[in-house]
Amino acid sequence: MGHYSDPPLLVLASLANGPRHGHAMIEDIVRLCGTRLGPGTLYGAIARLEQQGWIEPLPPEDRRQPYRITAEGVRVLHARLTTLRQFAKAGLKRLEAL
Amino acid sequence: MNPPLARLLTRLYPRRWRERYGAEFEAFLQTGPGGFGTSMNVICSALYEHIVPTQGGNMNPNPNSFRAILKHPSAFLPLAMSLTALGVLFVAAIYGILHGAHGIIRQPDEGTAAHLWQLLMAGQLPVLLFFAIKWLPRAPRQTLYVLALQAGAALASMAPVFLLGL
Repeated sequence: MGHYSDPPLLVLASLANGPRHGHAMIEDIVRLCGTRLGPGTLYGAIARLEQQGWIEPLPPEDRRQPYRITAEGVRVLHARLTTLRQFAKAGLKRLEAL
Repeated sequence: MNPPLARLLTRLYPRRWRERYGAEFEAFLQTGPGGFGTSMNVICSALYEHIVPTQGGNMNPNPNSFRAILKHPSAFLPLAMSLTALGVLFVAAIYGILHGAHGIIRQPDEGTAAHLWQLLMAGQLPVLLFFAIKWLPRAPRQTLYVLALQAGAALASMAPVFLLGL
């Protein structure tokens, strides 16, 4: 099994720490979980998240386009991470029983 | 990545995707490292975008476009308030005509219609200010178009008051 990879969730988690542009997101996600997203994967996630209203673009800085998480995005991220925590907790409990 | 390759890879995406993200994606590719892995990742993602388009291909336009900005409450509320104020004048004029006057019946304390008109026109000022502060730095040109529209609506509402001396 490799690194954890759910690009939209990783992008949301990265933006939860403040607005970022693409390259900064990639580096932050590497620090967060060791996964390095490719440019196509990253922009695929960005497009889907933005179209769902979970992230939004900020004014461009030079040639870089920063994004930030929206209030709805925070709610979604919280719900997803809570589910993951419950899943991890249940999984670890089963492992303890082995 | 070198610019011609970045442009070529960006062109692999569907047209609607490129209209929204093409420019920033191309700039993103140019400012990042190239390589076989990167190119393959973009090719696969572009192919995936053709097979499973974002939003079924009905992508929202740039959120900083004129139409997108106009959909925000702080953009359309002042317009609605100006038009409502104009409507108040119109209704007051009709009411006056129906009751034998040649237009709006003047009352010593200005009357309900005048107060409503004043409230609507004054009430939109903070909304207008909020809109300008929020959107001018993000999308100056489009925001100026919306502000011009709002100013036009406000002038249309004020014109009868000043022209007819109401």
